[in-house]
Order: sequence, then C-alpha cells, then structure tokens
Amino acid sequence: MADFFQLLFSGLATGSIYALAALGFTLLWQASGTINFAQGEFVMLPAFAMLAFASFGMPMPLSFFLTIVLAIAVLGWAFKRGIVDPLFRYGMMQIVVATIGLSIAMRNGVRLTGAEAHPFPSLFADRIYNIAGVTVTQSDIGTLVLAMLLVIGTQAFLARTITGRAMQAVAQNTESASVLGINVPRMIFYTFAINAILACAAALLVTPVYLAKFDMGESLGTKAFFAAVIGGFNNSRGALLGGLIVGVGENLAAAYVSAAYKDAVALALFMVVILFKPQGLLGRKEERKV
Amino acid sequence: MTQTPEIPCIVFDDVVAGYKDFMILNNLSFQVRKGSITLLLGPNGAGKSTVLKTLFGLLKPQQGRIALDGQDITGASQTDLLARGIAFVPQGRNLFPQLTVWQNLELGGITLGAKTTHERIPEVLEFFPRVKERIHSQASALSGGEQKQLEIGRALLLRPKVLLIDEPSIGLSPILVQDVFKLLKRLASEGTTVLMVEQNVKSALKIADDAIALESGRLVLHKPAGELLSDPHIERLFLGGAAPKAA
Repeated sequence: MADFFQLLFSGLATGSIYALAALGFTLLWQASGTINFAQGEFVMLPAFAMLAFASFGMPMPLSFFLTIVLAIAVLGWAFKRGIVDPLFRYGMMQIVVATIGLSIAMRNGVRLTGAEAHPFPSLFADRIYNIAGVTVTQSDIGTLVLAMLLVIGTQAFLARTITGRAMQAVAQNTESASVLGINVPRMIFYTFAINAILACAAALLVTPVYLAKFDMGESLGTKAFFAAVIGGFNNSRGALLGGLIVGVGENLAAAYVSAAYKDAVALALFMVVILFKPQGLLGRKEERKV
Repeated sequence: MTQTPEIPCIVFDDVVAGYKDFMILNNLSFQVRKGSITLLLGPNGAGKSTVLKTLFGLLKPQQGRIALDGQDITGASQTDLLARGIAFVPQGRNLFPQLTVWQNLELGGITLGAKTTHERIPEVLEFFPRVKERIHSQASALSGGEQKQLEIGRALLLRPKVLLIDEPSIGLSPILVQDVFKLLKRLASEGTTVLMVEQNVKSALKIADDAIALESGRLVLHKPAGELLSDPHIERLFLGGAAPKAA
C-alpha cells in the first residue's frame, strides 16, 4: 500500500507539471481559438534561456526573471503577432499546422547548438522524507506545491480580478467585450503572456528531471495536450484535473502494468474521453457557429 | 427675437459605409432629435443594423460625417464613443454566459472604474427586480427575457446620452417586449436618445417619436412615428401588409 501512495504522490507531482503546460493550452484556446502544438517547445526554450543567462554568471532567480521577460516578448508577443494574428482569419487548421511547424523549427534550431542533454539545477534539495511509511522526495513535494500554487493562482487571477474577468469575457464573447470597451487585443496578449510565464515555470520545475535537451518538450507537449483534452479544453480547472490524471495514470501503469506502456497511458485516456465524453471531464459542450 | 435652433443629437451626413468593397449605407443623411426614440425600419438588408454599427464605430465610414451633439465623431474608437455617452446593445445574445449577473454588470462599467461601477449597479438593478433577485446566478441560467434586461442594464450603467439598441424584442414574450418598450420610453423621458432597430414594427412605432425608413442603404422616409403608423402605403411596404391585388 505504501508503494501505491508513493507512486500516487510522485504521479501527482509529475501531473502538476503537465497541468501547468495544459493550462497554457486551455487559456490560448479560450482566449484566441488557438491550439499551440509548440507548447512543449515553449517549455524547452526557457530552460535553455535560463542556462544561457546562468552561464554568464547570473544567479538562478535573476536568470529566471530575465527568461520570463524574454519569454513574454518572444513566446507571447512575437508568437501572437507573427503567427496567430496573421493566420487567424484563415481558420484554426492553419494555426495548428503553423504551430507544428514552429515546434519542429524550435526543436531543430536548438539542436544546432548541440544534441547533448544539459544538467539543470533543481530548486529543491536532494532530501527524502518518510511520512507514515511513504517515501517522498523534497523535489516531488516542492514541484507539486509550486505547480498547484501557480495553477490555482492563475485561476484566482482569472476569477477574482477585473482584468481576469475581462479576459474571460473576451474568451466567451469577443464581440460583446469589444462593445463594452474592453481592450480585446490587450486581453488576448495578456493570455499569451500568462502562457509564456507558465511555460517558464514549467521549465524551472521539469528540466532538473528531464534535463535540458532539444527534444525535452516533445513528450511534455503531447501529454499536456492530452491532459487538456481529458480535463476539458474549455475549462482551466479541467487542465489541472487532466494533468493530474495523466501523471498518476502513467506512474501507476509503469509500476503495475509495464514501464513500456507508461507513455501510452495519456493516449489511451485521451481516446476513451474523446469517445465517451468529447467535451472532456469538466468541459462544456459548445455549439458550433455556422 | 429669433430662437436658436436645437442642435440635433445625432447627425449622419452623406455617410457611405459597409464591408470591404460592398457598401451597405449609400450617401445616407438623417438627424435624430435629443431625447427622442427613433425607429429605424426597412426591409432586410436595408442597412438598419449597419447604421447602429457605423454609429458605434464598429464600421468605419468610407465617406461622409457623423456628429454627436454637434461634435464630429466620424471614425472615433469605441472607447471614445463610450466615454462620450453612446452605449450599444447589439442583436442576439451578448452576455458572458459563464460569468455571474454581477460580474456581467461589473464588466459593463469597465470604462468607468470600479468605484463608480459599484455605486451604479444597485441603481440599475432597481429597473430590473427579477434580475436583481438573481444577482449571483450565472448569466446563462437566466431566462431569455432576463438576459435581455441584463444586457440593457449593463448599457445603462454608463448613463448613456444615446442608447443604440438592435432588435430588443427577439426571443421575448409579448409581455416582456412591453416591459422593455416601457423602459425605453422611460429612458427617453429622462433625456436619453434612443435609436432602435426592431422587427416588431407596429409595437415599436407606438412608443417611437420618429421613424426613419431605409431602402438599399438610402433614406426613403423620415416622419413622426404616429403619422407612419396610420399610413396604409407604409404598412404595405414595411409592416408586412398585403399588397393590393390587381382586378
């Protein structure tokens, strides 16, 4: 039983990172109808940026802060202006193809600097705790707590501040938001900026485990996408639930079925949800406008 | 002693507006009196809703001039127009369905600032007791009539000088339509200028002061509403009356 709880806990920690990336998917979808298949690479790039800043002798907190600023400019503003805005009028499929292309370009662009994995400092000490017979690492506890705080904080910002509500309003009815004088382009940019910040946070938490490598975002991006669909693409709480389900599910499958099937769990769950509850576990059915 | 002529509230002067190469308003000119209810009527595609959209800055005129209280507002931004006291209730569902009634109202006053908005929300809710009772409900949980009332309430938060309202009766029961019309009448009596597009033309003419008829984006008639209501030709053209059959 202790093993089960151990697997459950580390699964929750991994799942919370998926949730961070999945939240980015749902935010962009709700605010701008964009599915960003470069989401995994949006986590990989900040990891390399932090290492680059650190290589100039900057302490990690400063590197993280500078990376956030850079990410808002590049993964937020430039991504929106350079890819999403020009393609938006042509429909979602064009944006999907463009973001797939972007992910390949980002991956291979970083690969040009070297294909080897780079170690990344962890925020947490290498300590192990024994709680009621369950062994947990400080890294798992810290990752889970930080990721949950970020997800809950983002949701609180959206639900409790006037800016957050204005962002929700834009997502729910853009034309009405515009009629009320809500600055629609600015609210959409804020969404892209929040996505960039969440990607930096995910990079900070996941890279010590995955190591900084050009393809580190590939599996993370795919699992985050599955997590977002499982939870409900139009519900940010769904991203949290989906992320945790995928994280726990793949940990349990690796232990009780076979490690070889670990990566198939997210896909299997995704297919079950798509078949029986296509709007996701917490998602709402949406009418298609003709 | 000569009397100074009253400056019209809204002036459309030779306005051409539409979408890309397809112009819907063609050299349209008219004036709207302050504190009046003016009904825009005409067949489908005549440009009634386009007048409201152009006045609210959603469409930029290709030609001509629009003035509010004598000041040129041609091409002004929506934020500027809201600040000048123009509020717009478009056709259809315009709420944020997953937000509460209170949150919808709060966003209606986003250009006013939180303090003013919070002061005005209770005043606005006095107009709509049914909506007031459901202040913490999700907007999507309201009935069609309550939703329309909330939309109008959201616009009233701005204490608009001019209220543009497009098809307010769509989806409402006859009783609720009368409630909405009474409210518009009350607003006009308190000095708000109302410019309305309404499919329920007969009922709307009863509360309107003036009527403007459009055809292919051009003005074909501008008369007091009462005169129009009793004109048999206008009834045939715009109110759905049967055309006289040839013997």
